[in-house]
Amino acid sequence: MIFSTELLIQTVISGLMVGVLYALMALGITFIYSIVKTINWAMGEFYMIGSYIQFVAVHFLLGPRWWWLAALISMAGTFLIGLLLEPILIKPMYSRPMQRRDDYATVVTIALLLLLRSLAVALGGPYQYRPESDLSVIWIGPLPQEGARVAASVCALLALAAFWIVIKKTWIGLALRAAAQNRIAVQTSGVDVYRLDAVAFAIGVALAGLAGALLAPLFMVFPTNGAVTSVKGFEIIVIGGLGSIPGALIGGLLLGLVESLGAAFISSPYQNVYGFLLVILILIVKPNGLFGERGREA
Amino acid sequence: MMAGAPILEAQGLTKRYGGLIANNDVRMTLAPGEIRGLIGPNGAGKTTFVNLLTGLETPDAGSVRLDGTDITGLLPHRIAAQGLVRTFQVSRVFANLTVRENLLVPFLAAGSPGGVREGQDRAAELLDLSTLTPLADELAGVLSGGQRMLLQACAGFMIPAVRVYVLDEPFAGINPVVKDTLIALIQGENVGKGRAFLIVSHEMEIVRRLCPLVTVMIQGRVAAEGTLDEVARRPEVIAAYLGRAAA
Amino acid sequence: MDSLDTHASTTAEWRSLGTQREDHVMQRRELFGGVLAAALIALGSLPAKAQDPIVFGVITPLSPPGETGLGQLAKRGAEIGVEYINEQGGILGRKVQLSIQDSAGKNEQAVAAYRRLVSSEKAVAVFGFIHSGANIAVNEVAKEMGVPTMGTQTGATDVTAKHYDIAFRTHAVDPPRAGTWLGWIKKNNWKRVSIIAETTDYGIGLAKETEKQNKEKNLGLEIQTIMFDRTTTDLLPQLLQVKAFKPDAIVNIGVGQPLDLMITQAHTVGLLPATPMVTSYDAPARPQFWQLHGEKGVGVSFVAFYSPKSELSDLGKEFAKRYQAKFSEPPVYAALNSFANAIVFAEAIKKAGTTEPKAMIKALEEGSFGGWSTVPVTFPRAEGVLWHNWSPPMMILRYTAKDQTPATAEAAYAQ
Repeated sequence: MIFSTELLIQTVISGLMVGVLYALMALGITFIYSIVKTINWAMGEFYMIGSYIQFVAVHFLLGPRWWWLAALISMAGTFLIGLLLEPILIKPMYSRPMQRRDDYATVVTIALLLLLRSLAVALGGPYQYRPESDLSVIWIGPLPQEGARVAASVCALLALAAFWIVIKKTWIGLALRAAAQNRIAVQTSGVDVYRLDAVAFAIGVALAGLAGALLAPLFMVFPTNGAVTSVKGFEIIVIGGLGSIPGALIGGLLLGLVESLGAAFISSPYQNVYGFLLVILILIVKPNGLFGERGREA
Repeated sequence: MMAGAPILEAQGLTKRYGGLIANNDVRMTLAPGEIRGLIGPNGAGKTTFVNLLTGLETPDAGSVRLDGTDITGLLPHRIAAQGLVRTFQVSRVFANLTVRENLLVPFLAAGSPGGVREGQDRAAELLDLSTLTPLADELAGVLSGGQRMLLQACAGFMIPAVRVYVLDEPFAGINPVVKDTLIALIQGENVGKGRAFLIVSHEMEIVRRLCPLVTVMIQGRVAAEGTLDEVARRPEVIAAYLGRAAA
Repeated sequence: MDSLDTHASTTAEWRSLGTQREDHVMQRRELFGGVLAAALIALGSLPAKAQDPIVFGVITPLSPPGETGLGQLAKRGAEIGVEYINEQGGILGRKVQLSIQDSAGKNEQAVAAYRRLVSSEKAVAVFGFIHSGANIAVNEVAKEMGVPTMGTQTGATDVTAKHYDIAFRTHAVDPPRAGTWLGWIKKNNWKRVSIIAETTDYGIGLAKETEKQNKEKNLGLEIQTIMFDRTTTDLLPQLLQVKAFKPDAIVNIGVGQPLDLMITQAHTVGLLPATPMVTSYDAPARPQFWQLHGEKGVGVSFVAFYSPKSELSDLGKEFAKRYQAKFSEPPVYAALNSFANAIVFAEAIKKAGTTEPKAMIKALEEGSFGGWSTVPVTFPRAEGVLWHNWSPPMMILRYTAKDQTPATAEAAYAQ
């Protein structure tokens, strides 16, 4: 193992950059959970959809210079798909009398996962694609980084900021925060909680779609490309605490750092193990995650 | 006794949970601008009745009409938007929002043309009336039980369309000063804006002060209606309350 | 009439026996069930009728995380192979039918596919393997179930080194492959070499073999070996280690997505295009390579088992013609090999005169078959990894300009 301060700095920066994107994924999962009270197991497939839209938009329609516009289109596209799917798939969990809501949601989202993957194979074949990127390598201090990766991290940060503004400063954000606290009270306040569910689901999957679009030039586009990233998302949820937005952000950065440092300075074949070790450690020390609270609902 | 068309009319409301009949053919009419008390021993079905009125549960039979419009089976947010608003016995404020934001949620949900600015003005007015102004920008989670109840009541008044306001046990376990503030608030909204109230309560003194008429529910049915003193003389009412006291 | 009488008397007996009647009914039913079962088993083991097709099974990755590109090629090759065999009149007067199974590159999925092929589809030969792990796992089951397998493009030692009777392979094994890039490195007088390999049977085997040959042949190379998990999404930490080592050449032992990620990120850290990189198999020979990498694919070298400049047998030429007509691109190694697998199995069955596995295996071991190359295909019971193995000739090709094909690439090294 080679060690130097320069290498340490490079590794930390590289970890943080990938961590921001992990955080985006985790934020989507945790946000949907905090409103709809359901874990969307098909999160990785929305990442996949985002990456396919990005590829089609860049490769066939816009060209690599307009990658950012393509990313916005990908995000809007997954948002719309989420907005359409939620009332069909998730809403029955609340609008109909049901014995085991959680089981219902788990089964439905896993079925959705399989359906979307098969659909991707049917439409695009089992091949890998990659949207072209003409961004040149960017030096961050001593560290060279793919332009696309820097762009992805910066856009992820922008998206996190935009998310924060929507949640803190807009009427829909206020309603969403209220619904996260108490679904019934928000209904009797005159808010259509079902519409809110659909919006929350759509925002959550759009975050995944954006992550998929941004990472497409690096991790490529194929039917199961969301699997790894969504597993990271779920790890972060355990680390940060389910339903906690700061938990998703800090957990994402933490996981990115731990993986990157572990791979560089401990042993690289076990890169994925470090994250799991962190998860296990958190489960022992703080079972509800760093920012999780027991019994958030009143 | 009641002139003109009723503002709220419940007909034959029935709700079963398995073998238990929580509400059995409950009927009640409320005149515009009336403050009605709803009393009865625990388990008489008062909260179920409130839930049926406000759409949190769907009746097995019967109907609810608000100002002549059938609202039976509508979703809670639609009923609220039409002007039938409620509070909960266990206060459901949004602990993670500030006191002011709690008030803005129902106002903005109603989509008033005045927008945020009008909402802020109305919120400031209600905060003053409810003496919560110093806490306006605190998280609602820090409020005491009584303050939460005040906030919850104020939140309902933020819906511009409120015509009937159902308060479920608003006075339970809160200190006398807050009680007086809440009573003043109810009376102000009643006299000033002609809003009708249905107040579920065990606090007979307050019911006597506020409500010219009371409805008594016993075992899921309406057992009596009249002034508090009238119904208190009814043998079945006495029996029900004594029975409760004996148990 | 006799039987009717017996029936009548037994019925009378039952009446008199009363309670025991239930037991008799049971016995009768069991007896009947037993006969039925025996009849079914007998039917199943009856020799198939002459017009029934002979089934060849293909187990290959057609969905991720498998190497789907190679899987598609294996599928194409097998399809053309079976089409060709049937045009030539089939085998022993019977047509050949193909059953294609998706392994997704997963061992357990491949094993399930093998069981399905042998027990319910009655396949007599199984090939198309791309992932070594899947091939090795299937062989563990195949040695019990008996139907022979052929590794189409599986490189790991254990595919054949376990010396199972049923295990055959027509692909480059570790020693000659590692020898190929070591030869390339030696020819260029390079001293420091980084091996970046995935933690799979394939990656570990090749990394070890390279280190072993360096020692045994006294090549005196300084080798840095870095392993990584194949699901990783970021190879930057590993590549930064490589950069700090300042190697003269890099051996890229990733399969599928990590192979491409490594090329991309090696550019990022500035290793490419300055430091020569060879990929351990011919992924860059595929047309998608330039879509994936564009300008950044220039300078990449790869181990190839076939170049359009290579000499083909008559059979190979026939295949190339059909492949070009069907897919409007020149054939690639995995397709050639899969095609040849089908032909070799067909020839072995003809030679044995039966699809009985033991006879087929004997025919494969003793015969010499025509493949796609001019080198005849044999499967001797040889030492170590060379058991039941035919290795294609190997070379290293290097892209010197964008949109090159293996035909126009520079021949950087040949064994």
